[in-house]
Amino acid sequence: MQVLTFLLKRFGWMIITVWIVFTVSFFLMRQIPGGPLNGERVLSEAVRARLEARYNLDAPISEQYFTHLWNTVRLDFGPSFKLQDYTVNEILAQGFPVSAALGILGMVFAITIGMTSGVVSAVRRNSAYDYSFMMMATLGIAIPNFVLAAMLIVIFVFNLQMFPAAGWGDLNQIILPAFCLGAPFAGYIARLTRTGMLEVLGNDYIRTAYAKGLSPRTVVMKHGLRGALLPVVSYLGPAIAGILTGSLVLERIFVIPGMGSHFIEAAIQRDYTLAMGALLTYTVLLFGMNTLVDLAYSIIDPRVKLE
Amino acid sequence: MVRILRKYFPVFLLLIAGISVVWAINLGTLPPADFVFNNGTEVKTIDPAKATGVPEGRVINALYEGLLRSVPDGEPDELGRTPTKPKAVAMADSYQVSEDGTVYSFHIRENANWTNGDPVTAEDFAWSWMRFLHPETASEYNYQLFYVKNAQKFASVDLHIGDPVEVEMDDRPVSGQMFPRGTVRRGTLLELIQPDADEEHAEEGGDDGHGGGGISGPALFVVEFPSGDSTEIQVVTTQDPTDQAIQSLVDSYHGEQDLTTITSVQHVLFDFDHVGIKAKSLHDFEVTLNSPTPYFPELAAFYPLHPVHRGSLEKHGDREFTKPGFIVSNGPFVLRERRIRDRLRLVKNEHYWNAESVALNSIDVLAIQSETTSLNMFLNGQLDWDTKPPNTLVPMLRDRDEFVSTPFLAVYFYRINTSKPPLDNPLVRQALNMGIDKKSIVDNIVKGGQVPARSLVPPGMNGHQSSFCGEYNPQEAQRLLAEAGFPNGKGLPTIEILYNTADSHRDIAEVIQQDWKKNLGINVSLRNLEWGTFLDTLRIGDYMVSRSGWIGDYADPNTFLDMWVTDGPNNQTKWSNAFYDEGIERAKYEPDPAKRMEIFQQIEQKLMDEQPIIPIYFYVSLNMVNIRVHGFSANLQDVHPLHLLSLESDGAED
Amino acid sequence: MPIPNQPPSELERLAAILQEAHDVHGVSLWADAWKRLKRNKAAMISLWSLLTIVLLAILTPLLPLQSPIYQDVKNRELLPPQWEGFSLGIKQYDEETARLIAEADLQVAGNAKHKELMTEVEAREQKHPINLYWNDPNFLTKPLISLRLLLFGDFCIPSIFGTDKLGRDVLSRVFWGSRISLACGFIATLVSLMIGVSYGAISGYMGGWVDNLMMRLVDVFYSIPFIFIVIFIMSFLSSPDVREVLQEYHIGQIHVFFLLIGAIYWLTMARVVRGQVISLKNEQFVEAAKTIGATRMQIVFRHLVPNVMGIVIVYLTLTIPAVIRFEAFLSFLGMGVEAPNISWGLLVNEGVQVITIIKTYWWMIAFSGMALATTLFALNFLGDGVRDALDPKLKNK
Repeated sequence: MQVLTFLLKRFGWMIITVWIVFTVSFFLMRQIPGGPLNGERVLSEAVRARLEARYNLDAPISEQYFTHLWNTVRLDFGPSFKLQDYTVNEILAQGFPVSAALGILGMVFAITIGMTSGVVSAVRRNSAYDYSFMMMATLGIAIPNFVLAAMLIVIFVFNLQMFPAAGWGDLNQIILPAFCLGAPFAGYIARLTRTGMLEVLGNDYIRTAYAKGLSPRTVVMKHGLRGALLPVVSYLGPAIAGILTGSLVLERIFVIPGMGSHFIEAAIQRDYTLAMGALLTYTVLLFGMNTLVDLAYSIIDPRVKLE
Repeated sequence: MVRILRKYFPVFLLLIAGISVVWAINLGTLPPADFVFNNGTEVKTIDPAKATGVPEGRVINALYEGLLRSVPDGEPDELGRTPTKPKAVAMADSYQVSEDGTVYSFHIRENANWTNGDPVTAEDFAWSWMRFLHPETASEYNYQLFYVKNAQKFASVDLHIGDPVEVEMDDRPVSGQMFPRGTVRRGTLLELIQPDADEEHAEEGGDDGHGGGGISGPALFVVEFPSGDSTEIQVVTTQDPTDQAIQSLVDSYHGEQDLTTITSVQHVLFDFDHVGIKAKSLHDFEVTLNSPTPYFPELAAFYPLHPVHRGSLEKHGDREFTKPGFIVSNGPFVLRERRIRDRLRLVKNEHYWNAESVALNSIDVLAIQSETTSLNMFLNGQLDWDTKPPNTLVPMLRDRDEFVSTPFLAVYFYRINTSKPPLDNPLVRQALNMGIDKKSIVDNIVKGGQVPARSLVPPGMNGHQSSFCGEYNPQEAQRLLAEAGFPNGKGLPTIEILYNTADSHRDIAEVIQQDWKKNLGINVSLRNLEWGTFLDTLRIGDYMVSRSGWIGDYADPNTFLDMWVTDGPNNQTKWSNAFYDEGIERAKYEPDPAKRMEIFQQIEQKLMDEQPIIPIYFYVSLNMVNIRVHGFSANLQDVHPLHLLSLESDGAED
Repeated sequence: MPIPNQPPSELERLAAILQEAHDVHGVSLWADAWKRLKRNKAAMISLWSLLTIVLLAILTPLLPLQSPIYQDVKNRELLPPQWEGFSLGIKQYDEETARLIAEADLQVAGNAKHKELMTEVEAREQKHPINLYWNDPNFLTKPLISLRLLLFGDFCIPSIFGTDKLGRDVLSRVFWGSRISLACGFIATLVSLMIGVSYGAISGYMGGWVDNLMMRLVDVFYSIPFIFIVIFIMSFLSSPDVREVLQEYHIGQIHVFFLLIGAIYWLTMARVVRGQVISLKNEQFVEAAKTIGATRMQIVFRHLVPNVMGIVIVYLTLTIPAVIRFEAFLSFLGMGVEAPNISWGLLVNEGVQVITIIKTYWWMIAFSGMALATTLFALNFLGDGVRDALDPKLKNK
């Protein structure tokens, strides 16, 4: 019940968020120079007027706003300006699964690599493992992912010939980009896990657990990990926003036909409808993920109340 | 419930991860194609009537076929370039030109078919060209057909009293879809009722050839339709008859027509039956031009004029008919699958009239924007043809067998805003031109073997003799600048170079910045804008000097020169010269090719003397082509029809 | 009633207590933390390297570096690292000018030859290499550059980091790039600090519906993909009207760019500060401040904010790297700083583009990448160190 009211409340806030984002970007987009009908060759006035009529760009701005808002409420983003053979809905439907797969896989890399090395570092504190893992983690955080991508391409594509240079379609092609995407977050997660576990392992009840005769493995996995999980989960919220930004870059380098490439292109080319569609999709996604993280947090830690 | 969740949370996490990995792997994979190439960017559309741009052209030329086809033909010139010629090796198997050069008769080959088995007829062309010109299609390239008699009147709704008109009634079978059209009635325009301000409208007819004219705003048309033996008069409007503007038109009207019943209609257009586009018979297609246009065959091979299949378009609508599964085309290839910003999969069209000579069975058209990635994929064997290797690496690629490069019809130049002092002074503009070491830019920045440019029209264009502007000469440039009143650049404001976001543009701008500073003592600042803003800034003229480029649409100097007429939409330099404008107009009606070229040479000289633009270099086509590919020839227009390519026999076929 | 006469022994005792209190120096939280930080080797190394980097960045114009923007595409394009010397050639140029002046002085003032010589001298002044070597130095860098010319003359450190595709010296570009990247990191972070701390502190202290509303707003902001907004605002700034206004106030695009990034990164800061303030606001010192009549704003900014500075500093060391990386990311998309300004992000991006199978110009990426990574690395370690130092739990470990 409590969860339900929480979700309902959050849903209300999400509607408000989406509306704010919609309104601000609607007017901002129309304020900035350039429009969707501009191309390298200048259109004749007659053609321009016809196209403006087709896309309802000649109506008063308030009317455009309300028409567009109403269509958005009905989840109809309209036709794309620059990819004329498609509606925005079709483009998003094609791009979203690709980005989602990349993002999820990147996150899986980040969590598995990050938590494993974090746990090892914490258990073997001040050992060579600890130092080298933490060094690597910091390096992962410090190197921008497009630099990492370039280095990995040299090593794995050119020298070892293990992966294709770019493209999308099979597992081979997804591993490098997903790894590059996950690397900085793996670094953060490793450090968070380590710190969290050290804190827990210093507690009295851990000593009690040892005293009870539990094996070190059980102690570490059952009690230690749980303590480490909290900061990691609370970090997931910002991480998802970061994954999003990261995927913009990696989709470009590895030629992945996901949402990120649409997003940047649409913004640069002033494809009003596609830009709006992508923007709102990302907004809903971010909001949903943040809500999920809050929910997960309360599930793991009984002390946290949903508000 | 919550407790269970709490207990098994890590397990759930792993489960989600596992499922997503499986999902990611299962995202569909296509079997590899025979031939894979990078098209540089996602095509905006594959509807010929709406497309513009080189990448679109490559795909549309593979999917569709026009009356003629530009194919490499003849002996290579001294630079190793094969000339391209529009030839009747396409839908038309022959064509004749009338004595005065204004009537073209094409004969459509009998074995030309659409992919669904329908024959391709002259009527298909007439209908497709009608759609291409129709104002509601709003084709960006529609001015290319304005050489055809009355085509501009039709496309721009340029109506005058007494004109034959066609009225499309408000009864479209599928609402919100342009085709099939509503009932079309043909008649004569008796009277045109518009608000007073438009009185001078009649004089605007026959303008610069880039649109204009046209009726905008509220208007009432009084049309006389033949009805049996007698005639019927109707008052129609394309607006809502109850609209305020229309009502006030009615109220202020003092003529003799009865305006009590006003019919709302879709369109009132110039009668297409009177446009010079005719299907004479099933296989005879006739085009009548306003004036002899020597390069009309080039246009007949130009991709926006390729026909589309009426039946499928009317059934699926204006956008859906391009989708794989629905698309009916007539070219050497069919669209099998399309993934946005990833690839188009083309497969051989078995119904193509010349199918036996098409060697490739399947083609993947990729949309990779990063030049580095594209080259990496080529070198890694994932691509057979890379259309744009990065400049920095060209010197290292030049000696490879895969490298195919030659100058082609395109020029890189700087526009100068001639309305901004001190750039309104031709001396200053000439000095700027002479202060740029173009050879150094070509040798050290772009490095692809590009040619430093001293004229706008690239060399090698059908008998055109180029006219030149000044060479690199810092002393002379300083002298000119002093003559203009700015000795050693003293007193000149900072000049700003505008360019759109791209590394190569920035590099060139930085070099020119240093050249001007070093040679002329001028302070130069750079301004970088992303594409959308860049175009708009150029259009409203908020710049001093701006980077530009132009690729010829066809092999005739006109495509480079006609844009510089006064207020031409692509002029954008505010430059205006009466001699020049008149020259462009004269060239249109000059039947003698030699004299015509002479006119072009004269006006290009004018352009080079006045220098509203600084030509920097002529592009070269840069291609990396896998050596197992045959039939790839370096040519002037950088066109490489996909159906002429083949693979070495030990390729993918076995 | 007469005041009881206190025995002297009692007085003495009180005086002794007072004296004792004087002798014991209270160890402030900061001094304590500093002491602990000093014991952390990694953090101290990081701190010193950071200080060195910042100092070098500030003093870049003073160092005997080559010009960061002077191109020589013909002779020096993409040279690998080398020890061959390079001279600015200013001395020779000045000598030549001086010779001309001397020659002119020999002529009768006003005659044709004199005039001709003087015009040439003028022309030479106008085209002086200094104008080619440093782009429009501002009032801060100009004296430093003059001093550098005075101290080192034409001497330059050779291109030990190689040259780029326009023949510019990578070493000096890395140094000049550090100025923008670090400035971006610090200014943007400062902006985020100001917004975040005040927002969080006010929200936390006010509590109730104000807090609720303010925090929900933060949630809303968290869900906005800001990269998009950045693209739009950058375009908006380049529209003619806005540009004119900005130029009027001498605000460059780069300044707005800094502010913009700062305005994005305040969210987490606000949340962290709010949490701290909530836990502090019922402490006695706040009650005390209330009883002496401090206003709410005074309590928030004079009493609460200084007490959350610890966590804020820790968070700062995380925000600076994030901001610097964000700038690099924007450069990758071609929306970062503009030429002739240089940032590390820009350099790294230029380097990435020349990594191919045919030839890898490793020096284009290695040095700028290293500079970027070292700085971020050091900031991270320093952040860790500061957190440990401020954390009382770890106090006696």
